[in-house]
Amino acid sequence: MVLEIIVMVKQVPDSQEVVIDPVTMNLNRSLTRNVTNSADENALEAALRIKDKVGANVTMISMGPPQAETTMIECLARGADRAILASDRFFGGADTYPTGLTLAATISKLGKFDIIFAGEESSDSSTGHVGPGVAEFLNIDQITYASSVEYEDGYVTAERELEDGTETVKVPTPVLVTVLLNSNSPRMQTLRRKIDAVKKGMEMWDHDKIGLQPEWVGVRGSPTIVRKMRPIKERERAAKKIEIDNIGDLVRELYEKNILKLEEE
Amino acid sequence: MAGIKLATPAAKPEEYKNVFVFLETREDKLVRPALEMIGVGKRIADKVGEKLYCLLLGGNIKKEAKEAVSYGCDVVLGAESPDLSVYRTLPYSKIISDFVKQEKPNIFLIPATRNGRDLASRIAVSCEAGVTADCTELDIEQDTRILSANRPTYGESMLAEILCKRHRPQMATARAGIFPVPDKVQSPKGDIRINDVKIEKALLRKEILDFKKKNAVDLTAAKVVVSGGMGLGKADGFKLIGELADEIGGVVGSTRPAADMGWITRDHQVGQTGQTVRPRLYIAAGISGKIQHIMGMKNSETIIAINTDPNAEIIKYSDFVINADLYKAIPPLISSVKEEKKKLLAANKK
Repeated sequence: MVLEIIVMVKQVPDSQEVVIDPVTMNLNRSLTRNVTNSADENALEAALRIKDKVGANVTMISMGPPQAETTMIECLARGADRAILASDRFFGGADTYPTGLTLAATISKLGKFDIIFAGEESSDSSTGHVGPGVAEFLNIDQITYASSVEYEDGYVTAERELEDGTETVKVPTPVLVTVLLNSNSPRMQTLRRKIDAVKKGMEMWDHDKIGLQPEWVGVRGSPTIVRKMRPIKERERAAKKIEIDNIGDLVRELYEKNILKLEEE
Repeated sequence: MAGIKLATPAAKPEEYKNVFVFLETREDKLVRPALEMIGVGKRIADKVGEKLYCLLLGGNIKKEAKEAVSYGCDVVLGAESPDLSVYRTLPYSKIISDFVKQEKPNIFLIPATRNGRDLASRIAVSCEAGVTADCTELDIEQDTRILSANRPTYGESMLAEILCKRHRPQMATARAGIFPVPDKVQSPKGDIRINDVKIEKALLRKEILDFKKKNAVDLTAAKVVVSGGMGLGKADGFKLIGELADEIGGVVGSTRPAADMGWITRDHQVGQTGQTVRPRLYIAAGISGKIQHIMGMKNSETIIAINTDPNAEIIKYSDFVINADLYKAIPPLISSVKEEKKKLLAANKK
């Protein structure tokens, strides 16, 4: 039996170019370039390395508007076998709960799976919650914040990077794994694969195809709502210029104002 | 499909009472973010006249339960088993979800640490509740008992206020290093309820093969932090950073790119994917000030930037700016500190 691997990806606004509408305080999507979430590229690479070693079908899934097609094609061109975009106007405005539900339902619809990969978090909303949510919906175990992932004989062994150290864990499949940003070097697309990817194309699934009611998903299925947005006001700082010749004065000031203290030595 | 489980609004939200916090442990010791949760949880509970419940899981947690009470926790709900001495997703999320379903808290807070984030949305889905991630401000509306969960978004430029009006509990994870550790209470009174539990085999399929502890560099508690970035130009630059840090009783920090280059280990990293610091003094040497780094250090009381670029982003966040090559600026900084200390010591002796 061929290993079935699913990779969850998200198209996100390029964090270098986020444009906020000064009136609505929302993201101006028309002025912001969209890219594949970086950590998801590491998740795909982790999946492709297992495919290289033991053979696997790698299916990309994503939830988003139709323009996410560029991301799906890009992932196919890197070596994924199939791409499914859950896309429906009813999916819009989803918080992490219905996002997880929609992705989990899409995975269920696909049938058997052994490993689900995702990036540690998305660069735009940075919750890290969708992966574990999907694992809970599917009632499977999970490994989050993995820096390395190996598969052998029905078991995934991974290193998890925690605040205070590195944990090595081993879990039987099926399992969901979230992969750390920059934990590997994603392979390049080749021209050949790019042509094939465009030819193959992605599939677009709506709520009906996935088997979800409109009121379960998107903004209607979201327990949380955004009440308001406000710009984060930074404390004004003086940015007082100090010349190298005056560093002695600065140091004296730091000790006088107790910003530096003698007892810290 | 097996997984369809809808977020169902609470039929009677008024029946949900009290504030729950999850107390994360490592080797059965409370971690610092757990203490931060007690502080913010207590403040919210007090505001609406409710109790603070702390959830504590582990192999041997009686001492830590007393510790939680000493910080102001009203009730400790504990589950003890040798199988809980290390964190594992499935048994932890099962036991905690069971506590939540049984006790029906209005609010449930979890530290936004890696294991906290591993847990939070699993519990939310299991309890059909909403959860707001990585909050930096948390408050409760007194009359409605609605949690105001505020989290930075759009690259930390905006603060979104998120509410969960109809579902219970109202869950949030709270960013570590933002909420202060509370003072110990004068005469602690708390009810400790610890049960021995037996964990189903099916929940223990994850084997923990190894844990390699890092040389724990705790930047979050440091009073002084000296950080280096790409402006150092080479790994060797951190020697100079270390010298300055030693001289002023500080801890060495770094940016993510400097750690990515392998110039210093990850545990020194300050910022979005590293540690959040709020020292009395933060010195940023050769750091341009990418938003991910700024997020981790902007709450420092005093910030000094050392940078050759007069237009570097970091300057907006600095109280003092030394517009010079750090290799020219740090040596006189070190010698001035030595001199000043000598003077102060001499004055102290008199």
